[in-house]
Formats: sequence, structure tokens, C-alpha cells
Amino acid sequence: MRHNFRTWPLLLILSLVSLPLIIMYVFQVVDSFTAPKPGSLIPGAVTFENFRFLWETPDPGRSSIWQVTFNTFVFATSVAVIITSISMTAAYALSRLNFPARGFFLGGLIVLHGFPTVTLIIAIFLILQFLGLYDSLFGVILVKSALELPFGIWIMKGFYDTVPWEIEMAGVQDGASRFTVWRRLVLPQVQPGLSALFVLAFLLGWSEFVLPLVLAPGSDAQVLSTYLAALIADDSKLDFSLYKAVGMFYALPVIFIYLVFQKKLMNIYGGGTKG
Amino acid sequence: MTISIIRSALMASAVVLAAGPVLAEDITITVWAGGSNESDSYRLEAIEMAADMLSRESAIAGQELNITVEKKLDFGDWPEFKQAVTLAAEAGTAPNIVVTSHLDIAPWSEAGYIVPVEDYLDLDSWPLNNIYDNLMAVAAFDDVQWGLPQDAESRPFFFWKETMRGIGYSDAEIAALPAKVEAGEYTLENVLADAKKAVEAGLVEEGYGFYPRVSNGPDYAQFYQSFGGELQDPETGKLVLDKTAMEAMYQFFVDAVAAGVTRKNHIGTDWSQWYNEVANGKAAMWHGGTWHYGRYTKTEGNTDFFGTIEFSLIPAGNANGRANTITHPLVYLVTNQETDRAEEIASQLIKIASEPRINSLHAIKSAHLGIAKEQSNIELYANDRWASMATERLLGAANAQPNHVQYGAFSEALWKGLEASWTGIKTPAEAIAEVEAELKATLGDEVIIR
Amino acid sequence: MKRINWLGLGLLAPAFCIVIFFFLAPVILTGFFAFTNMSTSTGVTGGEYVLNQTGLRAIEDKGLPEATLKQLKNAGYRVDAKGLAAMAEQFGENAAAEFAELHGDALFTSRRDMERALKDLRANQIRSTRDRKAAAELFKRSVLNERFATEDEFRAVLIEANINPADHDAIVMQAYSGWVWTKENIELIFTLPSSLRYAMNTLMYVGLTLSFNVLFGLFLAISIFYLPPRTSAIFSTIWFLPRVLPPVLYVLMWKWFTWDTGFIATTLSWVGVAPKNWMLDTSTHAWVVIVLINGFVGASLGMILFSSAIKAIPTSMLHASEVDGASRIQQARYIILPQLRWPILFVTSYQTLSLLTSFEYILLSTDGGPGRATEVWSLAAFHTALNNYGGNLQYGLGAAFAMLLVIIGIIASLTYLRFFNFREMIAKPRIEG
Repeated sequence: MRHNFRTWPLLLILSLVSLPLIIMYVFQVVDSFTAPKPGSLIPGAVTFENFRFLWETPDPGRSSIWQVTFNTFVFATSVAVIITSISMTAAYALSRLNFPARGFFLGGLIVLHGFPTVTLIIAIFLILQFLGLYDSLFGVILVKSALELPFGIWIMKGFYDTVPWEIEMAGVQDGASRFTVWRRLVLPQVQPGLSALFVLAFLLGWSEFVLPLVLAPGSDAQVLSTYLAALIADDSKLDFSLYKAVGMFYALPVIFIYLVFQKKLMNIYGGGTKG
Repeated sequence: MTISIIRSALMASAVVLAAGPVLAEDITITVWAGGSNESDSYRLEAIEMAADMLSRESAIAGQELNITVEKKLDFGDWPEFKQAVTLAAEAGTAPNIVVTSHLDIAPWSEAGYIVPVEDYLDLDSWPLNNIYDNLMAVAAFDDVQWGLPQDAESRPFFFWKETMRGIGYSDAEIAALPAKVEAGEYTLENVLADAKKAVEAGLVEEGYGFYPRVSNGPDYAQFYQSFGGELQDPETGKLVLDKTAMEAMYQFFVDAVAAGVTRKNHIGTDWSQWYNEVANGKAAMWHGGTWHYGRYTKTEGNTDFFGTIEFSLIPAGNANGRANTITHPLVYLVTNQETDRAEEIASQLIKIASEPRINSLHAIKSAHLGIAKEQSNIELYANDRWASMATERLLGAANAQPNHVQYGAFSEALWKGLEASWTGIKTPAEAIAEVEAELKATLGDEVIIR
Repeated sequence: MKRINWLGLGLLAPAFCIVIFFFLAPVILTGFFAFTNMSTSTGVTGGEYVLNQTGLRAIEDKGLPEATLKQLKNAGYRVDAKGLAAMAEQFGENAAAEFAELHGDALFTSRRDMERALKDLRANQIRSTRDRKAAAELFKRSVLNERFATEDEFRAVLIEANINPADHDAIVMQAYSGWVWTKENIELIFTLPSSLRYAMNTLMYVGLTLSFNVLFGLFLAISIFYLPPRTSAIFSTIWFLPRVLPPVLYVLMWKWFTWDTGFIATTLSWVGVAPKNWMLDTSTHAWVVIVLINGFVGASLGMILFSSAIKAIPTSMLHASEVDGASRIQQARYIILPQLRWPILFVTSYQTLSLLTSFEYILLSTDGGPGRATEVWSLAAFHTALNNYGGNLQYGLGAAFAMLLVIIGIIASLTYLRFFNFREMIAKPRIEG
């Protein structure tokens, strides 16, 4: 149907406005693998020197990248597991079951869903301290999961809503309990949603910056985002090639996930709408 | 420290003595340093050395003491470091020792985060009795010795010699500049005029005539003092906002921007870039700290510091003010811990770390100044040309910012005003009005407005 | 009668607990904190009682009688019978006797002098520093600089020191180092000129970024719709990546792009433009960069939502218009746009809220600069409460800033709730119904 139109003017405009991003991506990759050449955009010789942070600690007093990566991995995975498993049950309840104050819970969910979260950080600090979880990875995991939970439930509810009632009706008529119906019949139906949510929650955890910065400043719980930010803030050297190399390392899982789950992610963002 | 705790500690030690030989004692001491990078590593390593020494001393005294020192210095910047320490202290997981600005003593002692070192250390004993009295005073607040000075420094004004020659100064005249500054004959007005000449002659680029610090810091209190401002009222101990001096100070930076010698968007320039530029003559005049010597000569590759750079006090701004410099020592503070023993050991460690020989390692490596008189008898220190010259030329006229609970808020407000006028968002008069309103509202009685 | 399924509550319980603890409790606490003067120096967890020089000065200003003041100031350390008795008990009769001989009835104003005096002991030397300090404490008669955990302890000491009971209350009030309830934070926010500026900045930030997001998202969605699938996939990847990349890295790329030595500066230097920091040069630069940084992230949301809405348009409509000879712009204007009314409304309302409270990208890029030109409300709350150079963390004031956002957030959410047909969402479950 589009044969009436020439596409090249549109393509041209779109390319032009995309140019800044394209330049940023290209140089992000190129600069991390080439020797820095200040004041010039032509890359220097190919080198892995920028990745030396992988086998030697840049400065004494800085944590080892592998410890930090491990922390980040634990952080992101735990957040994903918590969000997925809790959303899995809660969303089903909200979507399908009748229980007291259901309307209230649903309304509350929507209010929380679009709610200022980071502004609560002072109070969150106090609660963590009260629970003895301040400056621990576990504390940040709980907080991050809690803050993203309304979003997770919202998305899962969307998936449950699309499951045909007939499946459940049939199960209930066969004499199975609601719980069994959910576990045996409904869960397999929303399995794509669960995996999408898991991936998304993993990405959210992997990228989180402000929460670990404030709630876990010690070296034991450092994650890649705060590691990279501290490296950039260190005024003893300005080495964009090093930053970009660390950034490259940091972004690898993200890019991988994006390539594999592209469709799913777009879909979930479309349905879940996280601004 | 209440009597009861000391008393129980005393009893505990009596019990220990009575029980005869004791088991090995293992303790972990955490130390965090703010605003530090690799060249400041001895802020932490000194504690490690002290731990080794203390263990040996204990072993000889018949007590096995194993101290593990955990170090951390990679905090993003000062705000992040202070936030981390404060929140950790609130949560009861504060590091045992912190290396921080002396300005934190007032609020942190008020909040009960830190304990006075005088509860544990005999201030009349070595090496504490050798530390300069004025530095000890900087680490004290309300007559209580809360911490020990970790280093000393001051913040000089720098001239790039070649540029000064280019606008007509002879070598002799350049060499005489420090004395003229001190005498108040060379003022900030001259700075503006000379910077303008340098820009107009094309010796430096526009905006590089006078190239100040890129972020908030004690340095700006110096310019306030240059215009006759006073930070603290000596009689009442209250903070002082001298509106005339402050407005003149704001105006100076606005004039510098208007004359094209300072960039309007200067604030927020990247530090690394800044260091590189001033160390290699891209700016005619600038100001910094004594530790910049190490940075310029090592990282930035200026091998002929004394041949290319002249330094002096910060010049006076007008007839009301004086040439001055601020010293902003970092201090070792011991935090409040659950066990008295941890505080005791931490105090012992910072005492040993203050040994002239150990402190000289930090002083020379990071180009700071020493804290103790005997350091002039340590060869490493005495042979360092910069340390001795800077001490002689600057420290005499140096003063510190006041330790006052509200000084942080005060300095933050002054900076906001300066930022707003510098970037042209407000005129100096408007900025002053806003600062005044803000200080009145937030500090109330604790600030005197003149 | 509907059947009630208790399984629902059971399944909801874990989510409920975690949300209560880390979400609702913080909201409520924020409301409380907003009415306290909590800061670094008061601490968060409650206070103790300590009177120091500063406090003394403050009550002097409030008119504490001269006599009491003198009493408090000059108590110092006194070698009196009571102290000596205690010393005899702990350090032996001989030590006490020798000390009485040396310094009996002496008054030392400072602790250091007291300790020095103890060093004068010859026959009964106290060798360890700790012990000497403990001995000095026995003679302390001043209440200054001593921390007391409870008010009762502190009052007891005041009584012991023979301070006029009429003055106790004033002294106790001053000595309390913890936080107190106050309404000042809210008043302060409404009187400070800076908060008006933050509010204006926020309006500008939300307004500009939102317009960019919606308009540019529309443009992207429509262009992608008209392009061949392979090409459009490339562009949607390009525009989707900012959303999935970690903010720290994404902003790093922008820094490199706009820095003095970065891409724009280097490219423009070829045509003779002096290098400058394109992010922080003037407030206009900062605003443009901030809006673009956030806009490039936000546009992808619009892109995805609008794309799927466009795909839902029956192709027959588009075909028909093509036969009528409609230009592409006409097609977009008269056919596509009307179909997107709801998605646009949704994106607008949703992003208004999230932009209002987000500050991560600003914190990482301009940090509110230059000259606080890009300091938005939520960033101001963060800076006030947790992050400033002086290390003066004003939790109370920061919470008051945050609380206003929380209130706006709740009101907005409730409004949207009415607006977006809540009834439909809570359609009754069919099995129990």
C-alpha cells in the first residue's frame, strides 16, 4: 500500500535526527578498543589496554571489578526473581479472584504504579536501618524489588487478563481447586509474560544507580553503576577510553539480552508502560 | 564519654590483668577517606603502618593483638562521601576512622557520630605534643579535642611566569609579586587588569586570564576575606555575613566574566581538564592548593614548576580586605562504636599515624604540608623544596574556616549566591538579597548580618 | 451472594507485605519527617542531652541569669573531698592523700590541666593514660561536654551541681541534641526564593521533555510505520537502546558528546569554533541537553505505544485514502492522529508523573548546574536531604520537599484513575461472581 510514496525523504530526516545517537554508539564501541587520541576523532591503534581494569585494579582502594560484577549479577538476579515470583501470585489474585477490598487493592496498585519513588529515599534509609539492612546488598535488593513491584504486578495482571476464562471454568468444573487451576492451567498460559517480566526486572536491577549509591555506600555492596560513576567522578584522570571500556563491559549483558529478547521487551514496555 | 563507660572499661582492664595471660584479640578497623585519590593513599596506609606498630607494641607488652585494616577511598566526591559516612553512622555501621574535613567536626560531634580523641589520648604526650597548636585547634570544637589533624595545606594564588613576562613584567618584578601581594600593593583589581592584558595580547585564550576553582570549596571564602569579609565573630562565635564584602566578591567574579578573563560557564569544568590547563600555561592566573604542586609536576608533566609558576597569598580585594589564604586540614576522626575497645584502638592508631616520619610520607607524596614541628628534621620532608617554601610563604598568614554546626549550610548558601551571579542568572545585589533571606530563615540567630 | 475466595488474599500477601514495608511506610514516614528539624547534627534516631559552649552561648542569648551561667561555665574540675574519697577507693588511700597534698581544693578549668596535675603524683604515679583519664573524671564538676542518654540523668546532674531549678527547663531544652517537631520546613519552602525557582525549573523540565517525548514519539512511530520493515527495525533499535542502557553509561556517552574535548567541540573546531562545554556552557545549553537526554529515553515509550496503535488501524482506511490521492502528511493528520488520541493522553499523563519525580539523568549529567539553572524540585529534595558539599544533610527540609511531590503524585494518580475508566479494570471475576 505504500507504493505511492517515496521513502527516501523520510529516511533522510530520520537518519539525521538519529545521527547523534548513532555517533555515540559507534564511538562508544570504537573508543573502547582503540588507543586514546585526545583532540582527534580518528581512532588510534587497536588495543585492549583500555580493558586493563579487568586484570588489574586501577587504583589502590578501589574494589576489584569481578567482585563488583558479581554483586551486580546477584543484585539483578535477585530483583528479577523476587519481582517475578511475587507478581506472579499477586497479579493473579487481582486479575481473577474475588476477595475483600479487591477494588481498593487495584486502585492502590495504580496509584503506586505511577508514584514518585526515589523521593522516598530518606525514609527508606530509616527503615533499612531499623531492619539492620543498611549498607547491605540484600537491603537494596528488597527496596528495588518493592519499588518496581507495582509495575511488575501491573504487567502480569495484563497477561492474566488475556487468558480465556473458559480454561479456568473447565478446570473448576472438573473439581480442581482454584490453586491447582492456577498452577496447572493458568500459569503455562502466562509463561511468556513471566519470562519477559523476568528479563525486564533483571535489566532494571542491572541498571539501577541511585539506590545502591545512597543505601549501600560501603565497598562490599558496590555495583557496576556506582563503580563506573565513581571512576568518572575521580578527578585524578580524565580517560574517556577507560570509562567507555568499563561501560562496554557493563553493557554487554544488556546488549545480549536486548538482542535475544528484543520482541518481548518492546511488547512489555508497550503493555506496561514504564516512563 | 560518660564516666560510667570509662569506669567500666577500667574495671574490665583490671579484670583482664587479674586473669593473667590473655587470648589473642582480633579486631578489624575500617578507615574511609574522603576527597582522596591515589596520591593520598598514605591517609589510609598510615593507619596500616600504625596497626603494625601497635600490634608489635602489644606483643612486647605480652598481649597478642591482631588488627585488620579495611580501607576505602573510592567515593565519587565529597557530597557522596559525607552522605555515606553520615548514613552509616546513623545505621551504626560507621567506619572506625574517617579522614575528612575539619568542618565536619561540629555537626558530627553534635549528632554523636564521633567521640573526642581526648577521651583516649594524652595530648601532652608524643607525638601529639609536637603537632602545631593552631592545627590542633582546627581539630577541636567547643574546647574539646575531637580529632587529630591529618595534614595541612594552604591555598595559594598562582601566576604563569611566561605570560606575566609577556605583559611586561621583568623577572625581578615577578619574583617581587608575592611580597607585593602580602603587602596589599597588588590586589585583585590588578589581577583583573593583568588578566585582561594577557587575553588582549593573545597570550591566553579568552576566559583563561583568571581561571578559578571549578566547584564549591573553601577557596571562595578566601575571596570573601579578600574583600574584608569575616567568617566568624570572634566574640560570640556566630557566623558572619558581611553583605558589602560578599557583594564586592560576587561583583569581582561578574567583572571578570564581563572583561572576558573568566568564562561564564567556568563552574563545572572537568577537574582533570582544569589541572592539565593550568599546569601547562593555558591560564595566566589561577588559584589552587599547595597539593597542586604534586599534581602539576607528576601527573600533568610540568617538570619545571619553579621556573614556570610563581605563587603568593590570595591578593586583597580592596582597602577593607587583606591578602590571605585558608588552610583546610583534613582530620582523623574516631567514630562512636558499640565497644569502647574499638574506639580506644582507633585512637591509638591515629596517634601513631601522626608520627612525624609517617606523616611525612603523606605530606611529600601528596604535596601537602606537615603537621608537626619535628618534620623539618625528617630528611624526606626537609629536602623538599616546595614544602619548605610553601610553609614559609603561606602558612604564616593562613587561617581556617570556623568549626560551627551550621557552617555547611552557610557556605552552601554563599556558593549558591556566587553561582547565580557568576552565571548571570542574578545580579550580585539580587543574589545577596536571596542569600540574606535564606540565611536568616535557616540559621536564625546563629548568623550576624552586617 | 458472591463467594469470597480467600486464596486471593493469600496470594496477595507477599506483595502486600513488601509494599507496606518499603513503599507505604516510607510514604508515611516522609510525611512525618517533613515536620521535624532533622539534620546531620540532630541525627535521626533521637537525641541525647549535652551542653557545650555553643549551647551555653545560645541560652545566654535567650537570657539565662548571669549567676547560673557562671556556675555552669566555671565548674570545671575541683579537687574536693568527694573526689578524693572516690580516688582513694579506686586508686588507693596513698594516691589520694598525696594528691590532696599537692592540689587539695584546686580548681582546674580544663581537662588537660586536670590531667597535668595528676601527672604531678610521684610516689603513687598513675601510669596508664586510661587510668589517669578515669581519675580526672572523678573530679569533674562541670556538666559541659558530657553526653547523657536520658533527660532524667541530665536533670539529676543539674541538681547535683546546685543549678537554680528555675533554669533547669531552659538548659534541658537547649541541651537536647535530637530533633523536634516543627512547621518551619513548610514555611521555609514557601518563603525561600530558591524554591520558586526550583518549581519553575520543574515546570519547564516536565513541559519541554513531555512535548518532546510525545511529538518526537509520534514522528518516530509514523515514520517507522511508513518505512520498509528491515529499515524500521534498525531505527527502532537505535531509539529503543537509550531505554535499556544503564543510565550511568548512557549519560557518559552524552558527556563525551558534549564535553570540551568531546565530539561537538572537536568537530566544530575544524570550522574554527572555539571548544567549549556544550552541556554546561549556558543555562540554555544545559536545558537543551537535559531535555534531549530525557527525551531520547522517553520518546521510545511513545514510539512503541503509538506504533502498536497505528498497526491497529484497519488498512482499508489507508488504502481508501491513497486511492483518493491523499498525501502522506494528510494521511497522518486525518487518519492516524485521530486514532492516537487515547495513547497520547495516556503517555502524557503517565510521563507527567514520572518526569515530575525523576532526577537520575539530571543528577548524572548537569547535577543541577550551571548555577542551579537545571535544579528541579526532586533533585533539590535529594541535594537538601542527602547530597551537598557542606555535608549538611537536612533530612527534615528534604522530606518536606519530597512530601509536596508525594501529595502531587497521589492527587494526579487519583485523577487519572477516574479518567481512565477504573470500573472497567475491576470487572468482576466471573467464577465467583
